[in-house]
Order: sequence, then structure tokens, then C-alpha cells
Amino acid sequence: MAFAMRAVPQVFFVGQKFPEAWDRWLRYLSYGFICSIISVTLFMSGGHIETAAAPRRAIALAFAVVIAYKTKSAVTGMIAGTLLVLILSRTF
Amino acid sequence: MPFAARFRQGMKAAIPIWIAFVPSSIAWGIAAQDHGLSLDEVVLMSAWVYSGPAQFAVLGPLAEGKSALQVLIAGFLMNLRFLPMSTALAPFFRGVKHRRLLLASHVISASSFIVPYMQFQKERKALAESSPSAHTEDGDSNLAFFLGVGFTSFLVWVSGTAGGFIAAFGFPPGFEEALKFILPGYFAGLLVVEMKDWAMPLICLGSLIAALPGALVSPGWGWLVTAILIASLGWGLEEWKLHASR
Repeated sequence: MAFAMRAVPQVFFVGQKFPEAWDRWLRYLSYGFICSIISVTLFMSGGHIETAAAPRRAIALAFAVVIAYKTKSAVTGMIAGTLLVLILSRTF
Repeated sequence: MPFAARFRQGMKAAIPIWIAFVPSSIAWGIAAQDHGLSLDEVVLMSAWVYSGPAQFAVLGPLAEGKSALQVLIAGFLMNLRFLPMSTALAPFFRGVKHRRLLLASHVISASSFIVPYMQFQKERKALAESSPSAHTEDGDSNLAFFLGVGFTSFLVWVSGTAGGFIAAFGFPPGFEEALKFILPGYFAGLLVVEMKDWAMPLICLGSLIAALPGALVSPGWGWLVTAILIASLGWGLEEWKLHASR
């Protein structure tokens, strides 16, 4: 199933140039999925929102985003956010 | 650029993904062991499915002894996201043989999509600026870069899950917070570094927020539906603005 989802577009669309609008829609769709994965991975567990941990993870995510934006480095943002979430989890 | 050099370039770009994959894959190995899966099942599932969210999603139904159909549906819905990702990558592989593409497509994941996709976009833009008449992209070279990212990340993921299962380390208290944060933190960083205009930040923020009520309604597919709705809405608004300004 996972393989079909990955392979089918490679069979039918390889090398094709999509219209600019369609290309943008696909891009936005992919970004939307990735942001949803971020949200679900960080804030949910077993079909429930992790209310105790969610605030500190949200703060750490915002911090990671700001650092990544300022430094133009995703890795720096990730490290900064991870350190902050560790500190916050030990403090609160 | 020769295939090997381009593959190495992809490997270098994938290093942050490896860093993020190590703890996540170990966490999955531990969770799978906790849910009663055997080592060969864990390794086979990681290698065959190769999708963190889908693997986590089917753990519950598997452990609860739900029917194979329910497990398949949970996995299918999670893996729907590969469809637009793979479609968006396909134009960059012009001229590559189908057999090679079919094999390579197995290592498409959120991470191995986003890093090559942004690299290819950057290269396409640079090519268009340097020679506006040039339309040709080297599909094989792009495939080498993609494999440098995707194949090596795949190896890290599979060996990490096996490692997590075997070791089932006693992580220090609070360390699970870091495990949980690393991959989403890296994805968020990748997205924000590339953000331009107004539509992308709006779609990202909207999807991030709307995913929670969506997942509460249906943990399997609610967040997928909200992502499709938000992305389509943002795209529609942008299209409407473009048409209005013409």
C-alpha cells in the first residue's frame, strides 16, 4: 500500500512539467501534510491531546522556528528547540 | 555531475535527517517491542512500510488484535500523503528508467521528499536565471541526489528500529521529550527556512492548528483531511488574488 502511493506517480508523471498552478497546489498539499504530522506527533498520543506536555512543546516549537528563521539553519533550530523542551520538561 | 558525486551531495544534505531519525527510530523500536512485536516483525515492518507515522498508527490496532483490514486501512490513510509528495518529485526525474524509479520510490518519506524537493526547486530557479532558454533537467543526477538522501535515511531508520528493539535502552527521565521533539522540530525548521510570500506560512500555521481537532475526530485520517482542506483553501485564495491582480 505504502509502496503503491509512492510508485504510482513515478510511473505516470515522471519528467512531466505540471502547470504552474498545479505544481503550487501539490507543494502546498505536501507542506500541509508535513505540518499536520508535526502537530499530531508533538501534541497527540493515543487519540488524545497531551495537555500537560503540549504547552512546553508549543513553546519549544515556536523557539525552534524563530531560531531556524534567524540562523537560516533547520538543524540549529532543531537543536535549540530540543534543548529547550528538555529544560522545560525538567523545570515544570 | 557524476552519479557518485551527486549521491554524496545528497548524503551530506541528509545528515540532519539521520540525526533526527536515530532517536525516532529507536523510539519506534521500543514502542513496537512494548506492543509485543518480535524483532523480525519490527525490522520487516520498518523496511517494508518505512513510514514513522503509519508504523505508529498501526501499532495499536495490531496489538489489540484488530482485523487485517482495519490495520490496512489505518496504514493506507496515513500513506496517502505520499501521493502528492511523489507526484511533486516526479517532474525532476525526466529520462530515468521506470525500473530504477520504482525501486527508488520506496524511500520517499516526508524527510526524503522535503530536502531533495527544495534542492531541486533551488537548482531549477538558478538554471532558469542563468539560461532562461534551458528547460532540461538531469533526471539521473537528481535521482542520485534523491537516493543519497532517501536510501541512507532508510538505512538509518531500519537499523535504528532494530537497535531500539534490541537495546530497549533505559533512557534518562525526560529524554523521551527530546525523542518526541527532534523530528517535528527539524521539519518545522526546514519549512521555515524556505518560507516565502504569505500563502505558505498561512497554510503551515493553519494545518498545524487544524490537525488537532481533525485528529480528535478521527486519529487515522482527520488530520489528512484538514491538511487537504487548508492547503486547497490557501491555494484557492492565492489563485483568486493572482487572477484579480491580472
